[in-house]
Parts: sequence; C-alpha cells; structure tokens
Amino acid sequence: MHTKTDLRELSYAEAIREAMDIAMAQDERVILMGEDIGVYGGAFGVTGDLIEKYGMDRVMDTPISELGGAGVAVGAAMTGLRPIFEFQFSDFATLGMEQIVNQAAKIRYMLGGAVSVPVVMRFPSGSGTGAAAQHSQSLEAWTAHVPGLKVVQPATPADAKGLLLAALEDPDPVMIYEHKILYKMKGHVPEGHYTTPIGKAAVMREGKDLTIVATAIMVHKALDAAETLATEGIDAEVIDLRTIRPMDRDTVLASVRKTGRLVCVYEAVKTLGVGAEVSAMVAESDAFDYLDAPIIRLGGAECPIPYNPELEKAVVPQVPDILEAARNLAKGRI
Amino acid sequence: MPTEVIMPKVDMDMAKGKIMSWHIAEGERVSKGDPLFDIETDKAAMEVEAPADGILYHTAPEGMEIPIGTPCAWLYAEGEDVGEQPAPFAGQGAHTVQPEQAAVTDEDDTTSPEHALASVDAVAGEATDKVRATPRARSLASGAGLNLADLIGTGPRGRVQAQDVENEIALRDTRPAPPQTPVAFRAETGALAVTRSKGGTGTPIVMIHGFASNAMSWGQIEAHVKHRPIIRIDLPGHGKSPKLRIDSFADLVREMRRAFDDLNLETAHLVGHSLGGAISIALADTRAKRLSSLTLLAPAGLGPDINGNAVTGICRATRTESLAPWLRALVANEDLVTDSYARLAMEGREDANLRAAQTRLADALFPDGVQAFDLRAALQRIDLPTRILWGKQDAIIPWQHALRAPGHMALHLFDGIGHMAHIECPDAVGKIIKSVV
Repeated sequence: MHTKTDLRELSYAEAIREAMDIAMAQDERVILMGEDIGVYGGAFGVTGDLIEKYGMDRVMDTPISELGGAGVAVGAAMTGLRPIFEFQFSDFATLGMEQIVNQAAKIRYMLGGAVSVPVVMRFPSGSGTGAAAQHSQSLEAWTAHVPGLKVVQPATPADAKGLLLAALEDPDPVMIYEHKILYKMKGHVPEGHYTTPIGKAAVMREGKDLTIVATAIMVHKALDAAETLATEGIDAEVIDLRTIRPMDRDTVLASVRKTGRLVCVYEAVKTLGVGAEVSAMVAESDAFDYLDAPIIRLGGAECPIPYNPELEKAVVPQVPDILEAARNLAKGRI
Repeated sequence: MPTEVIMPKVDMDMAKGKIMSWHIAEGERVSKGDPLFDIETDKAAMEVEAPADGILYHTAPEGMEIPIGTPCAWLYAEGEDVGEQPAPFAGQGAHTVQPEQAAVTDEDDTTSPEHALASVDAVAGEATDKVRATPRARSLASGAGLNLADLIGTGPRGRVQAQDVENEIALRDTRPAPPQTPVAFRAETGALAVTRSKGGTGTPIVMIHGFASNAMSWGQIEAHVKHRPIIRIDLPGHGKSPKLRIDSFADLVREMRRAFDDLNLETAHLVGHSLGGAISIALADTRAKRLSSLTLLAPAGLGPDINGNAVTGICRATRTESLAPWLRALVANEDLVTDSYARLAMEGREDANLRAAQTRLADALFPDGVQAFDLRAALQRIDLPTRILWGKQDAIIPWQHALRAPGHMALHLFDGIGHMAHIECPDAVGKIIKSVV
C-alpha cells in the first residue's frame, strides 16, 4: 500500500505522454500523427520529445489538412496499425468530420465486420485560454451522436493515461476530448501500464442530498462546489461521467435513486448537450420515480466563446452557478 | 364579433379570480364603465367595469373561478346574432390548457434554470387542478397509502415533495389511532331542562345560552340581576336537556317555544346569546305580547357569516388539547381560557352522545360553515325594547351584523371583546341588563 506522500504526481499532459510512451514501447504498431506534434512537440506540448525516442517514422507531422491527416490515420488503422491522431484544436476536427463520421464510424458495420478501425483521436478542447470562438469549443456531443464511435472525456491525469491505454486496446475508433485547461493540472498517476474502463463513470465524492453529474473540467468545479456545500450541510454526490458514449447508465441512475435530485454540469452549449442526454436518460428510467425536484442543467451559453476574458468566463458554468443550483435543489426552492 | 369580458389581473400574485356576483343580468344592456361584476381573489374583492357598450350574454356562473386573461362573458352589439357561447370558460376543467400553450421553451436561458421552470409551471398550473407533486413524493405517498391531495405541499407553488410525505407518514405513525367512527347520534325524548334561581321578585328573566354552551354560562351575569327570578333553558342536546332530534332551525324554535310556553309566564325579559339570541328573536316574533324586553348578545341569524372551523372544531374535540384552541377563538383575550377552564369545558362535553347531538345540530344550522337561517326580517318586525350587545373582536360572528338592527334598538359595541361578552366583560353586560329589567 502506498501512503499518500508516496504517490507520484504527473500533470495531465505528462500522463498522456507517458501513456503514449508506454504504448509505443510495448507495441510497434502504435504511431502518432498530427500537426506540429513532431519536432515542435505539439501545440500544447503533449507529445514533447517522443520524436527523439521513436523517430519520424512513428511520430509524424501531418500537413495542414485535417481531412487528409484523419484519412491517413483511418487508413493506417484499417491496415493494422494503432494510430493516435491529434487534432491540434478540437475545433479543427470539423474539417475531418467526413473521415470520423462517414468512414471511421461506419467501416466495420458496412464491411460486415471484416475490418475494424482501431484509431484513437485526441481533441484538445474547451475554453479558458483566451483563444476565442474558433479555438475554444466543446464539440464532444457532435461525435457522441454517432453510433460506431466511442467518446471519452478524462478529467484527471490518471484517467487521461488510463483511458488512452484503454482506447488503444479497443478495436473501434475512440475519440478522446482533453480539456486544454487540465493539461497543467497535477494528480496522482499510477506507474506502468493500466487501463481505465471505457463506459464507466467514477463517483468522485459520495453524498446523499443531490447528484452532480459533470464532465471534464466541470468535475473539478463540481468538487469545489461540493466542499462549500458540505459546510452548509448539503451533501452532494459528484459523478465524473468520463465516457459519454457509451454512457454509464447504472452509476448515474443508482445515484439519482439515492439522492432524488440531479444537476448536470458541462461546458458545452447547454442545448442538446451531454446534460440533455443524462437528463433524458434519468427521466425515461425507473429512477424518475425517485426524483424529488426538477432536473437542472448547467451548460454553456447559446453563443460563441467570446475573446474578452471576463465574458469567456461568464458564458460557461462556474462554481457559484453550481452552488446556486445545488442550494436551490437541496432546499426545495425550485 | 362580441366583445370578450376578460378576467382582469388586479394583484401581482393573482392566477384566477372568482366571480362573486353579476351586477347586470344576461340580456341586459350595459355602457362602457358600468359596474359589471364583483370578483374575489386571494387577497381582495373588487368591482370590474364593463369594457365596452353592449348586451351581456354567456356569463360565467357566480362562484366560478376564471383564470386571469380569459373571458368570463361576452358583450354583443344591438341586433348582433347571439349564438353558442364563443368559447368555453377556462375555469371549467383541466382540459382547457392547450398543449402548445404549456410547451414554453427557454433555450437560451443558461443562468437561471428556475426561471425556465417557473414559466412552464405557471402556464401548466393555472387551469389544472391536478396535485403538484414530485415523482418521489408520488411514489412514497402511493406506497404509504396516502392521498396526495390531502397533503400540504411546502415546495414551490405548493408542490408536494418527499419531505412532506415523510412528515405525514411520521405524523401518522406517532398519532394515536383515530377514535373509532364517531358515535352515532341516539335521539332522546322529553322536556327541555329548565333551572331557576332562588329568590327574586317581579318580572322574571329567561336566559337562553348559545351553541355548545349551557345554562351555567350565565353565572356571572346573574349576580347583577339577583332581584329578579331567573329562569334558564338548556337547548336540546345541551346541558341537562335531552338530545332531541333537531333537523332544522324551525325544529329548534318549535322545541324552545314549547319550553317557553310551558313556563306559563305572564311576561318575561328575554336574554339570549349567539344561537340563543337567534332563538330569542324568533320567540319575540311570535310571543311579543308575553315579553317585556329583549337583550341579544352576539345573536346568530343576522347574516350568513360564521366561523365554521370553530364550530366544527368544538364539536369534534374529544380532549382538552383539541378543544382549548377553539375556546380561545371565542374570546378576545385568550388568557381567559386557562388550562383548567378548558379541562372543565371538556369534562362538560365528555358525553359522546352530547357531542354527536351538537355535531348533528351544527350540520343542520350551519352547513358548510354558513348560517342557514335568516332572522333579519324577524328582527325588523320586533317592536319590543331591544338591546344588542356585541364584542368588536368577535371571531365567530362578525359584529357588523348588529348594524342590521332597526333604529329603535340600542347597540352596545365593546372594544377588546370577542364572542363571549357575558363572560369577557360580565360587569358591563350585567349593568346593561339590570338597567332594562
């Protein structure tokens, strides 16, 4: 048993790099592709010096064509490699959608299971970096809407590593949305190879008064809020969804049956986002009979992410928003 | 096209208004600005004026609650064809809210989910009388065999939440088993109990007590008029009188008149309190020649209003704790009703058949908390020296009913006194009666 002081800490970006390093060392089929990931080390420094260790054949800079790069990655996966493709910003994946939606997600189905597409795609996403409307979006619901894809949103360094290694073992395309603000966040990361199961949420904090289901950076805001709520006598359970397709129905429903109150917190635009799916899943289930208040969604405003830093903060849920919603729910005010 | 007469919004919180009365009958002509109907909301009553000239048709029935902003009548122009009512009244049932009306969306509201919820609920809540309850409250109530409609919701807009059901379950579990079904009334027969004071000369004073009271209640007044013979009659089902079968005020008066006639008095001063006051008015109406004066303390029968909850509460009470709060409602200064007083009063009501008789009587005389008998015309006919005494803090029958007395009667209105002037200020009442007898 490790005591807490023994625990090794890595940043979220380091944890991803370590996962890629372990996978590449263990399996020659694993290659990295993306814009500026080679010599430059990646726009957010995630790949770092892996090119030094594995060379240009396995760490490949691709031209400024997301459609082309993604297409090469999908083709490589079909022919037996295990490519990890990085979209420099998840916003640019809009240009690669044909390869993601029409090819990667469909090929196994359309070829009767003869070929699978074990590609892993990484999507640096989210706001908070002052990068404005075209570099700050949270578009995970786009790909989560497509059968044939798996979509994960790690919130901690340990899960960033574990989910990437799990994705490489998965025979089908896995989309990994990494929140850019989390890259520098440190946390305990186990050594060596391990996987975090895809499709399994994590109960980050147990509570009895209400359930907060959050994704990515919102998990940390929810945990912050839960600490404050605890001082007010409100005992919040915080669930990190981790995977949004396939969604961990059992964990969410069990929590709602226990607490009877649900807040969904996500950075993406509120309408038709992940929280809408979570809410509907609860409303359609037997957990409905346990609800003691309306479900609340806290999501991004219905507008592009502004450049102005104050406005950028204002358009996505913050800790005070979660506190207010949780208090209203717990005190039966809505 | 007829003009719609719309239920107006007269205060901020108002969702519906109740039509109290129409000033104009259907088919009559009104001019714009004429008083058209009276409404009552949770907070206020007010008059609504005609929105246009026209002839009034299709009026909502008096007593109906109409959601604000929806029609409660139509005004037609001279010669305009009056066909079917153009639309049903929105208050008529749960089906009048159109689904698309309820489907309010608020997609761009990210900061205040409450706001979005409130707007949906406000529309959905207006015209439906479904119980508002959360799913969890519903399943808990169903599991516990509770009727949601019986629960008081403490959530927003009265929504029943799990805590409300849990509280009710806890209460039910700690509450002693309810008494077995109320004792059935067993009718008795015989003459009413009459008691007389010792001593006194001259014209006797006949005293008739009020509902749920008895002849003993006159004790403090009697001290002031000892020089006259005092005769007290217990009402049927009260004090020592038999529990006669009484189905109406007329039945009651018949029995009391018989008891009065049996006294065989040449003349008497009559003093009555509350229901006893109403009976005194009725006796005065038919036995005027055998009465010298009439003193009415907070008499019933002069208007429909009565505190039905207090009447029911007193009838139902089977123990001091449940009786005492209602006894306190009878008086302005609650300190008069001490614990020992309440205990004594409960002891006087221990006979379940007495309570059954009074419950039955209350149901006949005050159905649904309304005085079902009207003695206003009888009061106008009385030509005896008459005094009406009333406490201005009366919470049982409004003292303003006294204002219906004809001019020759004297009114004595007491500040800081409730329904029981003869107990709350016996000296003042005693002096007034003494001045008459």
